[in-house]
Amino acid sequence: MPATSPDQEWKKGSAELLVLSLLEDQPRHGYDISKLIEMRSGGVLRFHVTSLYPLLYRLEDRGWIQGRWVEKREQRRRRYYSLTPEGRKMLRSQRKSWKEFIAAMGRVTGVEHA
Amino acid sequence: MPDWKRIVRDRIAPFRLEGAAESDLVEELSQHLEDRYRYFRIGGESEQEAFEKTLSELDNTHPLRENARKMRELSKYDAVPAGESGSGNLTENLWRDLRYAARTMRKSPAFVVFVVLTLALGIGANTTVFTVINTLILNPLPVPDSGGLVVLSAAKPETGVTAKSGAPLLLPLADLKDYRTDNTVFRSLAGYTSPRPVTWQADNAAQGMFAELVTGNYFSTLGLDPVKGRFFLPEEDTTPGAHAVAVMNYGTWQGRFGGDPGIIGRMLRLNNIVFTVIGIAPPQFIGMNAIFGPDLWVPAAMAEQLLPNEMRNVFTDRGKATFQGAGRLKPQTTRGQAQANIANIAAYLAREYPTTNEGRTATVQPVREVLFASNSSTATPILFASAGLLIVVGIVLLIACSNVANLLLARSASRQQEMAVRLALGANRRRLVRQLLTESVFLAFLSGVAGLLIAYFGLHLLFRALPASSNFVTPRLDATVFIFALAISLATGFLFGIVPALKASRVSVSETLKDEARTLGRSRKRVTLANALLVGQVAFSFLLLVTAALFLRSIERAYEIDPGFQTAHLAVFMTSPGQAGYEKPRAKAFYKEVRDRIVRVPGVESVSWASNLPLWADPVSGLQVEGRAQRSQADRITTVINTVDGNYFETAGVAIDSGRAFTNLDQESSIPVAIVNEKMARDYWPGASALGKRIRLPGEKQMRQIVGVARTGNYSNWAELPQSCVYVPLEQNYSDVMTLYVRSKGDPKQILTPIQRELHAAGPQVRIDVRTGQQIVEGGLFFARVGVALLSLFGLLALGLASIGLYGILAYAVHQRKREIGLRMALGAARANVVRLIVKQGMSLVAAGVLIGFVAALIVGRLLSRMLFGVSASDPLSIASAAVVLVFVALLACYLPAYCAGRVEPLAALREG
Repeated sequence: MPATSPDQEWKKGSAELLVLSLLEDQPRHGYDISKLIEMRSGGVLRFHVTSLYPLLYRLEDRGWIQGRWVEKREQRRRRYYSLTPEGRKMLRSQRKSWKEFIAAMGRVTGVEHA
Repeated sequence: MPDWKRIVRDRIAPFRLEGAAESDLVEELSQHLEDRYRYFRIGGESEQEAFEKTLSELDNTHPLRENARKMRELSKYDAVPAGESGSGNLTENLWRDLRYAARTMRKSPAFVVFVVLTLALGIGANTTVFTVINTLILNPLPVPDSGGLVVLSAAKPETGVTAKSGAPLLLPLADLKDYRTDNTVFRSLAGYTSPRPVTWQADNAAQGMFAELVTGNYFSTLGLDPVKGRFFLPEEDTTPGAHAVAVMNYGTWQGRFGGDPGIIGRMLRLNNIVFTVIGIAPPQFIGMNAIFGPDLWVPAAMAEQLLPNEMRNVFTDRGKATFQGAGRLKPQTTRGQAQANIANIAAYLAREYPTTNEGRTATVQPVREVLFASNSSTATPILFASAGLLIVVGIVLLIACSNVANLLLARSASRQQEMAVRLALGANRRRLVRQLLTESVFLAFLSGVAGLLIAYFGLHLLFRALPASSNFVTPRLDATVFIFALAISLATGFLFGIVPALKASRVSVSETLKDEARTLGRSRKRVTLANALLVGQVAFSFLLLVTAALFLRSIERAYEIDPGFQTAHLAVFMTSPGQAGYEKPRAKAFYKEVRDRIVRVPGVESVSWASNLPLWADPVSGLQVEGRAQRSQADRITTVINTVDGNYFETAGVAIDSGRAFTNLDQESSIPVAIVNEKMARDYWPGASALGKRIRLPGEKQMRQIVGVARTGNYSNWAELPQSCVYVPLEQNYSDVMTLYVRSKGDPKQILTPIQRELHAAGPQVRIDVRTGQQIVEGGLFFARVGVALLSLFGLLALGLASIGLYGILAYAVHQRKREIGLRMALGAARANVVRLIVKQGMSLVAAGVLIGFVAALIVGRLLSRMLFGVSASDPLSIASAAVVLVFVALLACYLPAYCAGRVEPLAALREG
């Protein structure tokens, strides 16, 4: 749940895109994902465990991402999530529709996008 | 640091997730919270602030609960829930256990392949031997309701039953017909003879066949239906010589006639009489003697035409016992009633025909009791060998089991963590044992399937060794065999699975969970059990190897035994001119012409005729010695009678110790003479010379004067007990079945072809069977050789299995002791020392096994000593050679892991440790 409170519905669709984009380059564990979202959004967007993990499980359930327990030397085992081929496809199409959506919003509302 | 795991677990407890799903979730969330907490602390917050901020993330667990429900579905195929308490649906659990077992196996294919191969060899060997036993002994007669079939045979009244050997006595055909018409107890009673060799004259080439004479109701009594054509009609067995018809053996039809669809109605010239094939018997049926059967069945009414000499007056002569009865009793008739009825008829026959039937009765026995006694000379060794082999393959299977048990023990060490976690999470031990047992039984089941395949090919090999396949019984892989294979597979699974399963489930939870997996290793107790199993394997292998070596040596010695005739330069040619339709003058002319032709063949030293084939003689009873009163029927003298031509003793290499051999002066018109062997001379004229004494052969009227004494040899079997033998000259005792003996100058194989050519020229219609002296010896030792081959095979199999087990245990030990070995080497131990250490560990087990095996071999050797020729049960050479083979293989099995131990890098080993 975001610390600042933009619209709930708004965020729900965007959250999936956020997670998928972060997994595009490399597998990450849950804390890593939440930390990156918070850092890159300058603290505007934040997820609590109780909303991040259900989201991850949902994405896994849909087959877009896949979680695996990985053991590394000198570390506790962690569950790393990676993008499945289907997830990659999904990411591409969501990016496209978001771009269209934002462009449309900009044309209508006159809000410049960054 | 707060205990985040506990906190998360408390929060999600109300979700009631399944064990594995819950622990995954707890681990993942608590890690996240830990990281978060650390982040706040690094940011400079106080412990209390950081704790509260982190905890606030857990405020709303609602979305978690919703998605956790999905997780439960996701994780449903995690087979044995770690915390399952043991109650629940049995079949559902079994199904789950099986799926889990399959998944576990997929993870370690090498282990599965090894186990399945090891067990399949053991199960395959057992199934092969069992199939032989099932075919020959348990269910030998492929006829409907074989249990209701009884056999009628002659008997002596005092014993009530059969002859000394347990073999049923034969009945004269005339008696059998009286029993058939006069009895009130049989629904149906048929008669049959043993298979007789006949000559089949096909397209100018004479071939051998076996024919059996049967009464017209033979097939209907047995309850068989023809696969083609028909069986005999009642009228075809009434008028002697009127109906030359024959029923063919299915195997003969397929083998010799290629399954010719036009076989019905085909004419076959047998012993110069044309028979018409009217039907084909069902497959697998080879007659009442379940091991060896005829190619053709012929009505008994054709007896005199087909076999004029053997069967002369067969319909009327009550002294000519050649048949046996097989019948089915009327419903509600007991065997006792049948026996009484038959005894009455026998008593009547004895009064009516006192000269032949006095002191003779008949007996009714279930077919199973008779089957093996009826051909006791071949059946007893088969029975004995089967039982022996069953024990041997049982041992091989035990070795395979203990091998696999050892492997499972080693594996259970590495699965200890898994077991401990499950127990800690509340699974009960019985449930775990069941899971582990399901795994082993599943493995055993796979091995059983592979074992059946091995058995199938094993039987193929085994039965191919037998000649003339259509006459011999073929192995039947029927439902009984499948049930047997399944049963031993399941039993095997329990046997090798139960101990490791119990051990594995008896893990101490707290100890295991506290410790790191690698420091656990094997407990001392487990090592002891594995070592004990291994010592047992080595002992059994050693025992088998020693036994095999003893028999091997014994056979070697058996080859050296002097059979009383020469074999190195001998070739024999069996002929039966009578079967080619030759009358006495023509046959005699044939004998003479052959002798004259063959003696001119280059490479032939001498040539003669004799009625007996070496090692195939059948003793007959009824010989009389002048001046010796016969006290009773049982006191009749039994002796081998051999009708021989001039030059026989020289050709066959039988020495005449005193008196003379037969000469040209011994003619039909001169004084009847005979030569006896030493054994007979010693038995009946002890301390005196047999020369000049007189004897009377069974069926002869005149006395014969003994003119010579020959050295005793082997007549019926290789290395038999000495038996009496009487030789009579061919001129004075004509026979139309004779064997040509040829003594060659060099290798007898060189002259076989020219001799056969000469024989064919002298009598194109006469069938010839050839054997060399060497082949005769090998035939005499056939069963012994097959037995030794199998024993050696199973002994080596056992040794191979034990070596693999030894290798496995040592390799595992090296793996476990890697750290210790590294430490030793770091402290200056040389590689050679390390290698020696490991080899010593393995070889001390081997030494213990050899010692136990040695003691066992002495005991078993004593039990077997009666079956050994000229080798003592404690033969040092056999024991030493078995020990050398075993120790060599064991050293190899020890050296490989020891070599690996020597290659351990001290630094790497220590770092890993």
